[in-house]
Amino acid sequence: MPDGSAGFRTPLWRAIAAYRIAALGYLVILIVRNDRDYLHPLAAWPVLAVTIVWTFVVSYAYLEPRRRRWPLLLADQLVTMGVLIASVPVIGQKALTAGVPTLSVAWHVSPVLAWAVAGGRRHGLAAATVMGLTDIIVRGHFDQAGYTGAMLMVLAAFSVGYLVGLVDDAELKLQRAVELEASTRERERLARAIHDSVLQVLALVQRRGGHLDGEAGDLARMAGEQEAALRALVTTPLAGTAVGSTDLRDLIAPLASSTVSVASPASPVSLPADTARQVRAAVSAALDNVVRHCAAGTVAWVLIEDEPEAVTVSVRDAGPGMPDGRLAEAAGQGRLGVAHSIVRRIADLGGTARITTAPGDGTEVEMRIPR
Amino acid sequence: MTTRVMVVDDHPMWRDAVSRDLGAAGFEVVASIGEGRQAVRVAAAAAPDVVVLDLQLPDMSGVDVILGLLSAVPGVRVLMLSASGEQQDVLDAVKAGATGYLLKSAATDEFVEAVTRTAAGDPVFTAKLAGLVLGEYRRLATVPAGDAVSPALTTRETEVLRLVAKGMSYRQIADRLVLSHRTVQNHVQNTLNKLQLHNRVELTRYVIERGLD
Repeated sequence: MPDGSAGFRTPLWRAIAAYRIAALGYLVILIVRNDRDYLHPLAAWPVLAVTIVWTFVVSYAYLEPRRRRWPLLLADQLVTMGVLIASVPVIGQKALTAGVPTLSVAWHVSPVLAWAVAGGRRHGLAAATVMGLTDIIVRGHFDQAGYTGAMLMVLAAFSVGYLVGLVDDAELKLQRAVELEASTRERERLARAIHDSVLQVLALVQRRGGHLDGEAGDLARMAGEQEAALRALVTTPLAGTAVGSTDLRDLIAPLASSTVSVASPASPVSLPADTARQVRAAVSAALDNVVRHCAAGTVAWVLIEDEPEAVTVSVRDAGPGMPDGRLAEAAGQGRLGVAHSIVRRIADLGGTARITTAPGDGTEVEMRIPR
Repeated sequence: MTTRVMVVDDHPMWRDAVSRDLGAAGFEVVASIGEGRQAVRVAAAAAPDVVVLDLQLPDMSGVDVILGLLSAVPGVRVLMLSASGEQQDVLDAVKAGATGYLLKSAATDEFVEAVTRTAAGDPVFTAKLAGLVLGEYRRLATVPAGDAVSPALTTRETEVLRLVAKGMSYRQIADRLVLSHRTVQNHVQNTLNKLQLHNRVELTRYVIERGLD
């Protein structure tokens, strides 16, 4: 079990302690009322003393998260079963069968609950089964009424174990949210720092040296590329999107570079996470296509548009374009690069992709994904 | 008459580089300042035609600097420069009255041309900025506007703005839509004017509602 869950499980441990003490009270009343029916009434008192001592010892011991492990849980289970079994010599099998309550009635559920809280459903069910069988055998009640108590205990163990699963899950989610918030804040801090220094200097280097020939010019252009890459990295939209959806801008922004410009609205463009990934892959494919088929340094523009009924993403390049029918020809030759990865991908999302091109006028891919 | 330019940037190296480029291109740099507050104070005396403004200043938000500059020198034109281009900041600045936006990574000739156009009253729309403005009109169309009418683009304006956002030059757009270069320019100008007007109306209404006037 994760250490961190000690925090969220603590109230459950307190509840067990409260239950154990309340059950002890009930037990004392029953023993006082029933001791004349016992085979050896006097022997009931030492057993009750053990029960009382154990109640407080174990409740105290469970307060410490370190001790909520199998040695103590097993001891708890065994001591409780010992008290339960002691009912046979103290009360006598005849009285028990006649319906006199055991010396641990209700109280014997506590270790079962402890197992369920410490180890979840499975441990809880195992402990409940062992305790339940012992209880049935001790009472010698092999009928409907005899099984009901054991059955209730099994159900309780199952429910508590299930609850613990939920609690752990909730705690994990909370922890992730906290981590996410911390990392977001850290990223914003870094972005500010980078903006104030590195980006400015890189942009300046590019600006002063971009027109130079030879090595100096190359260095300046490299600085420019790094500036664009870094800018894409630190420009993170601040607003969030609904759960289960992704801001498409977050996925597309990293594709920006010194030759790729990304235009988008200022507010989040939320799409289901999977749809957004597919759109990103299609945009990526279109940009790869620009790199593959156009001269080095050909500029491309990505535009994200958000409308109530659809999201439209366009990728346009300033390349030479293609003559009419070139795409159809490529498809006819079985070279379906563009058609396949873009048109099909978008069609799978229920959208349409339109590729327009003319010689000298670049190529534009417009993808429309209905909401 | 030479165009008077004021440079506001907290990065000294940038300030010098930009001033040098402007001087070399024949502009008169009337002030070169590192803080927003100081820029607003100095503006009236310096009387610039154009302010080249770094959007991220340490002491004031871009919007506040722009509003301050506009009230100090009515009619001054503001060209924003920014290193990282935080989208909401850029959009807010445009709505507040800036008429152009460039990334700092823009080449020198691109920058000089932008200042020239800004001085002439033409908005300087990069594809990025057009995408933001387009997005803002669409956002305004979806939010309930109350009793005021949200600004809306005509079909033609939307068409032009989309093409700008896809990186096309005015010349290319004019050719594709069979319009004159001037008409394309007017359409772009209108998209910006409507948005800024709407923003001023909203601002006034906000002030009146809060009883702050």
